[in-house]
Amino acid sequence: MKFLSQMNRLSRRRLRNVTLTVASIAMLAAIVMWMDRSLLHSSFLTGYVLIGSLFLLAAFGMRKRLPMIAGIGSASFWMQMHIYVGLGSFAVFAMHIAFRVPDGMLESILALLYLVVFFSGIYGIWATRSIPRKLTSVGEEVIFERIPAFKRHLARRAQTIVMESCESTPVLANFYVNRLSKFFECRRGLGYMLIPTGRKRRHLIAEIEELDRFLAQEDRRVSRELAIMVRKKDDLDYHTAMQGRLKLWLFVHIAITWSLLIFSVVHGLLAHAYGGGLA
Amino acid sequence: MENSTRIKFPARWSEPLDPDMDARAVDGLLKVAPFTAMNPESFSESMPLSGILKNDSRLQQLEKGDIIVREGDYGGSAFLIVSGEALVSTRSLPPEVLGRGNKERKGWGRAIAQLWRNSNQTEARDYSKTKTPNQDTGTGLRDHSSGTHVFLHDIPRVIPPEHSITLGEGEIFGEISALTRSARSATVVANSKMVVLEIRWQGFRELMLRNEAMGQHIEKRYRENSLQAHLRETEIFRDLPDDVIRKLADRTIFQTFGNYQWSHKFKSTLKKDISQRILNEPLIAEQGDYVDGLVLIRNGFARLSRKHGEGHQTIAYLGKGDTFGFREVVHNWATGQQRPWMLSLRSLGFVDVLKIPVTVLEELVLPQLRESSFPAPLPDLAGDGKARNRRLTPRAKSMEPGLMEFLVENRFINGTQAMMIDLDRCTRCDDCVRACASTHDNNPRFVRHGPVHDHWMIANACMHCLDPVCMIGCPTGAIGRDRETGNVAINDTTCIGCSTCANNCPYHNIQMVQVNDNRGNPIRDSETSLPVIKATKCDLCLEQPFGPACQRACPHDALVRIDISSPDDVMEWTEK
Ligand code: SF4
Ligand code: SF4
Repeated sequence: MKFLSQMNRLSRRRLRNVTLTVASIAMLAAIVMWMDRSLLHSSFLTGYVLIGSLFLLAAFGMRKRLPMIAGIGSASFWMQMHIYVGLGSFAVFAMHIAFRVPDGMLESILALLYLVVFFSGIYGIWATRSIPRKLTSVGEEVIFERIPAFKRHLARRAQTIVMESCESTPVLANFYVNRLSKFFECRRGLGYMLIPTGRKRRHLIAEIEELDRFLAQEDRRVSRELAIMVRKKDDLDYHTAMQGRLKLWLFVHIAITWSLLIFSVVHGLLAHAYGGGLA
Repeated sequence: MENSTRIKFPARWSEPLDPDMDARAVDGLLKVAPFTAMNPESFSESMPLSGILKNDSRLQQLEKGDIIVREGDYGGSAFLIVSGEALVSTRSLPPEVLGRGNKERKGWGRAIAQLWRNSNQTEARDYSKTKTPNQDTGTGLRDHSSGTHVFLHDIPRVIPPEHSITLGEGEIFGEISALTRSARSATVVANSKMVVLEIRWQGFRELMLRNEAMGQHIEKRYRENSLQAHLRETEIFRDLPDDVIRKLADRTIFQTFGNYQWSHKFKSTLKKDISQRILNEPLIAEQGDYVDGLVLIRNGFARLSRKHGEGHQTIAYLGKGDTFGFREVVHNWATGQQRPWMLSLRSLGFVDVLKIPVTVLEELVLPQLRESSFPAPLPDLAGDGKARNRRLTPRAKSMEPGLMEFLVENRFINGTQAMMIDLDRCTRCDDCVRACASTHDNNPRFVRHGPVHDHWMIANACMHCLDPVCMIGCPTGAIGRDRETGNVAINDTTCIGCSTCANNCPYHNIQMVQVNDNRGNPIRDSETSLPVIKATKCDLCLEQPFGPACQRACPHDALVRIDISSPDDVMEWTEK
């Protein structure tokens, strides 16, 4: 047990939760095998476990809306439960469909919805673990709702310093009009929002540096400031893309979860009506 | 007053306590006790008695019932009764009398009801049902030239004679908490028309130094009361008998280092180069110097540093109750060697220390200690430098040095409930902010933003400091520590919106807000018609049944309320 004491708190928690999940699945699998051998309807059992899990998973959203009664468990506890119940539900789902592709229309839609929710959940685990690190490495912290205001401020400032400099030489002004104004004033394209890269930023900064030899000493100061602002704007775009992705993901994950819940309830009722389960 | 033309003006006198204090008032004071008995010659040229009275003091005219100091308040002044008499309450007064809130935890029902009861207007207040001074609490507010005062309508009802001590002309009170920067231990109320001289800490210390009788009197009081208690609470002396503690207290030396008003300056000093900043910090003990005693931190913070190349590296920070130098003292005594200080100790802002000379320790303490309670002997000075440094480090040995410097430089070590966010785990979902808002009538009491080191952010949320500088000077006692939890909270009802607390908070964690009614219209003062302003900040969900909502709302274990004054807590969290 020495290795346990050497693990940090989060690793110990992970080990405990994985063990619990695996043990629960193994127990359920054993019961299902026993029922099948005894010619009992194990699909009702797995169906109830699955729908129960789905409601428990969806209840996490309710917990978030009730921070004042945190006595029903901290959000962190609920998150852990959400992750492991979600992972475990996949095994229950597999048992429920008896490891076969469903054939009916409703069952197929239901299975598809479940898979979308499940894999969006898996993506969520990965995204919520990896995106924060990426955002931190940008350096500057910025609150999502304030990004548009910062961008507007940057765009105004860029325009002002370029206009002030254009009295001496039009080089910077031309460059601003042709290359920078769109970058500062417009949203990034869908391609960038999906896979944000630093390519545009590198190009623009290289172009600004190339301009230097055409500029007077005073204007070089302006061009250096412009380069800094290009970096800042690009960082803000990166935050928009990454923070936006996390928000969009959560929205989609929750929306499909609710459709899944509705379909599941209908499926359950139909199964009882036609499968004789309630009788 | 002749001397005043020749003085080297002390920096603190650029801001006199009361700009209206004039030469006539000073002359008047010089004619009353105890100043009549003071010899002006014993004061230095740069800080004459008249200068101290003019710049470090102010006269307060009070009416019967005015509260002069409140139990639990912090303040940097002592008080001298010039005329009239005051009452000291020997028992604690109810929080509502002191202007404090008496927040009770909500039950489940009321907590859930917040869901629909929260107002949809920002900073909405409903004062129709709240008790204001004058109602039930037996208190009222009145303005004097020295500011607003809370007063008691019926003194005997609140402070019965059997629970009070009377102070008369020439008596001094409030000096111990001013000198030790600790909370006032009792409430003092004017029991007649009074004139009180408030003397700020620096001036008072000077008076004690220059006037032997006064100095001895105050020191005796301190040694008999708080000092013995402090020594008894110190781990090293825990098992010593009472008579030894008494002797120790008699031979302990008091020292103060740094600037009492550190909070005003520290933001500007942050702009300086860190090496320069460290070198500018007053030295309490210097690495390599002769070990002359054991240092006990009584108040404030000190930086433990080690020479590293051309600069100094922070190893740890010490706070109230910590000791420095015991290892060296014991080593030298046990081995007969004369090893110097292994590390340097510097004042961070203001620090108040007690020093027990080596000779006193050798006579009274060391022979009584069990060998098992001896610290580890000092490492051999010859030997691999890296390993030696590791062994020299007293604690917090594995805290990342950059994080240590960050916490020390920004004085976050003052925070007992700071909000620390791990940005590598934080998904920026703002569930924490929403949770805070829904538990505070839809007004979040913090901003998820603040200084960052590596991936650690200290967010702009009240840290419930060990040294709560925000509590100094609140005229109505609206900001104070909650009796049960020790959290710093503001009583919205008695806050008069003067902004003293917000200006004092060096971390910008108190916001002044305009309050509105439930329709969104500004609430106005009935006399002046000006919009009512209140101070707001994080109260650590004092009223909620389950503690800080922000921490419990974070699904990713990214946010914690943490006692940064304890390096062990920080390490436990950062190494999670
Ligand atoms: S603003 Fe601050 S200092 Fe002023 S009355 Fe309110 S709580 Fe006290
Ligand atoms: S709740 Fe946690 S993850 Fe979300 S913003 Fe707050 S600290 Fe970050």
